[in-house]
Amino acid sequence: MTAGTVAAPGRVAPGTAARGGRSLVGGRGGIWFVLPFLLVYAAFVLWPLVYGLSLSFFDTSLVRSESQFVGLANYARLFSDPEVWRTLGVTVLFTIGSTIPLVAVALVMALLVQTGVRGQWFWRFAYFAPFLLPVATVALIWQWLFSGDYGLLNGVLSGLGLPAVGWLTEPDIGLWSVVILTVWWTVGFNFLLYLAALQAIPAQLYEAAEIDGAGGWRRLFSITLPLLNRTTGLVVVLQVLASLKLFDQAYILYQANGGPGGSATPILQYVYETGFVDYRLGYASAISYMFFVLIILIALVQARLSRRSEL
Amino acid sequence: MTTHRLSRRTLLRATAVGAGAAVLSSCARGPGGAVDLAYWNFFGGSDGELMVKLVNDFRAEAPGVRVTGTTLDWGPPYYTKLAMACAGGRAPDLATLHASRLATFGRDLLDEWDLAELAARGVSIEEFPQPVLDRVLVDGRLRALPLDTHPLVLYYNTDICERAGLLAPDGTLAPITSAEQMLDAGRRAAEVTGSIGISLGIGESSHVWMVFWSLFRQLGGEMRLPDGGPAEVDRDAAVQAMTFLREMCDGTICSPTLDGQSAPAAFASEQAGFLFVGPWEVTSAREAEIPFSMTQFPALFGDTPFVRADSHSFVLPAQASVDPAARAAAYDMAVSMLRNSLVWATGGGHIPALSAVAASPEYRAEQPISNYREAAQVVEFDPETYFSGSGSTLMSRAGQSLQGVATRALTPEQGADDLIGWLDEQITFGSPL
Repeated sequence: MTAGTVAAPGRVAPGTAARGGRSLVGGRGGIWFVLPFLLVYAAFVLWPLVYGLSLSFFDTSLVRSESQFVGLANYARLFSDPEVWRTLGVTVLFTIGSTIPLVAVALVMALLVQTGVRGQWFWRFAYFAPFLLPVATVALIWQWLFSGDYGLLNGVLSGLGLPAVGWLTEPDIGLWSVVILTVWWTVGFNFLLYLAALQAIPAQLYEAAEIDGAGGWRRLFSITLPLLNRTTGLVVVLQVLASLKLFDQAYILYQANGGPGGSATPILQYVYETGFVDYRLGYASAISYMFFVLIILIALVQARLSRRSEL
Repeated sequence: MTTHRLSRRTLLRATAVGAGAAVLSSCARGPGGAVDLAYWNFFGGSDGELMVKLVNDFRAEAPGVRVTGTTLDWGPPYYTKLAMACAGGRAPDLATLHASRLATFGRDLLDEWDLAELAARGVSIEEFPQPVLDRVLVDGRLRALPLDTHPLVLYYNTDICERAGLLAPDGTLAPITSAEQMLDAGRRAAEVTGSIGISLGIGESSHVWMVFWSLFRQLGGEMRLPDGGPAEVDRDAAVQAMTFLREMCDGTICSPTLDGQSAPAAFASEQAGFLFVGPWEVTSAREAEIPFSMTQFPALFGDTPFVRADSHSFVLPAQASVDPAARAAAYDMAVSMLRNSLVWATGGGHIPALSAVAASPEYRAEQPISNYREAAQVVEFDPETYFSGSGSTLMSRAGQSLQGVATRALTPEQGADDLIGWLDEQITFGSPL
C-alpha cells in the first residue's frame, strides 16, 4: 500500500497553500472567475424572480399586449379560490405521505446493504438505478404497471385472489400511486446519503460496544441511529423541499388530467395551467409567490427545529 | 395601462419585425425564387404519417414552395405555443387548429380566410357541412378552413355481437334507439366476452367528455358560458347524462378503471364488444386484425343522434408582417390538403369536410369508415368560451367530475354541481383574451 507516501485528497502540502490561497482570496481576480456564472444566474434566476413578482400585481395575459395594475387583487382572489387550497392540500398531503416512506425506506435499505450482505455493489446499484431514469420514462413504466385492467400490479393481486385496485382511476388512490412511483424513483438518492453517513461511523465504536456486550439491536439504537441524526435532518429537509415541488411525475402519469377526480393535481400544476393554458400570467405569478413564501416559512421552521434538536 | 408591459411588447414586435424583414429579404425568396412556408401541426402516430404524406403531396405539386413542417406535442403545449407565437407576431404561415379552440384565439390572434382567394382556388364554403361551417364562421368571417370532422363513433366487434344476438340479418349492428337498449347490449356482449361489454376510457378526459357532451346534447341540454357569468347549464340534463355513465360503469357493462390507452386495447384484444371513442382508433382496431365495424353513435336519448365532434382545420395565424407570397402559398397548401384529404379520411377515419371528397365514390366505398359519414350533419361542438374545446381546461376539469361519477366517488347530482360550480368560477373571473 502506498497510503503512507501519498497525500490524502484535499490535503495540501504546507507552504505552497498559504501563499496561493491568499492571492486568490484577497485579490480582485476572483470576480472574473465567477462572472460567467453570475450573469447566467442573474438572467435566468434573479431577473425572472423579480419580474414574476411584478407580474403578480398586474392582470397580465399571455396573449394580450395591455395589462392593468391591479394592486393586491390577484392575492385577494387566491385566498377565496377553492382550487388554490385544494391543490395546495394535495401538495401538502403528498409531501407528508412521500417524505415518511422516502426517509424510512432509504434508511432501511442503507442498513441492509451496510450489514455486509454479499454482492454489495449489486444492491447499491439496484437501489440507486431507478434514480438515473428520466421522469418521462418512469411515468410511462408505471402507467403500464398501474393499468387497471392489464397492469402487472393488478395481475399480481388477482393471482393472489385479491380484488383489482383502480390505481389510476380511484380518486382515493390516485395520489398514493404517485407516492409509490416517487418512492421507487427517488429513494436511491436518500439511500446514498444514508450509506455515506453509515460508512463514516468509526468501526471502533461498534467494536467497543460489542466488547461491552451490546447486541445488534442495541448497537443500532444506541450507536447507529443517534449518529445518523444529522443526516436524517438533512434528508428530511431535502425531501420536504423536493416533495413540495411535485409536478412532473404526476403531470405525465395522468397525462395532464390531474388524476382521478383531480386528486393528484399539485399546486404547481394549477400554476402552470392558470398561466400557460388559461393565459393568466398575473394570477399564476401571485399563486406561485404565495407558495414561495410558504416554502420559505417551512424551511425556516425546519431549520429552527433541527437547531433545537442539536442543542 | 402599464409601461413595463408595453415596452417589452414593443421590443418583441420590433425584434419580430426586424427578424421578419431580414427573413423576407434573405430567405422568403430563396435561391431560384422559392417561397418559404412555415407550417405547424400537432399530429403524431398514424395521423402524423398521413399528415406527412399530405405535406409531401403539396411539395410535389408546388416545387416553388419550401415547406418547413413543425410537429408539436398535441394538447395544451401546442395551443399555448401557437397563441404565444401569434401574440408575439412571429407565428407560422399556416397552422392546424381544432375548430373547437377558435374561441381561445379570440379576434386578434388569427387572420380570416379570404373567400375570394379560396374561390380562385376552386373552394367555396358551401362545400362544408353546415354544422361545421357554423362553428368556423365567426361574425360572418371564415376563421378556420375545416379539413375533417371527427365525431364520437360506435365501434363494435362483429363476432362478439353476432354471438350476443345483436346483429341485424344483414350483418350490421341492429339499431340501438335508447339508453336502456345500449346498456342491455353491453350486458349481452359482456356475457360473451366474459370480461366487459363496452370499453370507454374513463380515465381519459377527452374520451369521457365526448360521451357526456353527446348525451347532454341529445337530452336537449344547453350550456351557455357568457363572459362574466353566471354559467347557464341545464342541470337536469347533466345529471341524467352522468347517471347513464354511472349505470354503465358497473364493472360488467363497462369498467371504470380503463384509461385512454387501455380502453382501445380492451377492444382490440376482444375483451369488449363495443368501444366508444373518436374514429382515429380505426388504426389500432385494424392492426389487431379483429372482426369489427363502426357506425354512427346512436341516439340514446331523444330522436336525433347528436354527437360530440371536432374538426381539424387550418388557420392563418396573425403575423407582425405578412409576406404576400407566403400567404398565397399558405392558401395553395391548405386547398391542396383539402383536395387530397381522401387519404386522410381512409387512413385516419376522419370524415372529409370537403363535399367533393366526402361524396366521392372512393370514400363512400371505404368500409367501415364511411358508415358514419352522416354524423357530420348532427355534430355538436364544445361550448364556446376561451377555456373550452379539445385539450382545454374545461375538458380536463369536466373529465375529473365525470370520472368521479363513473367510479362512484360522486353521485350524478354531486358531479353536475361540481362541474357547474367550477364553470361559474371560471367565467366570473373574466376572460384573459
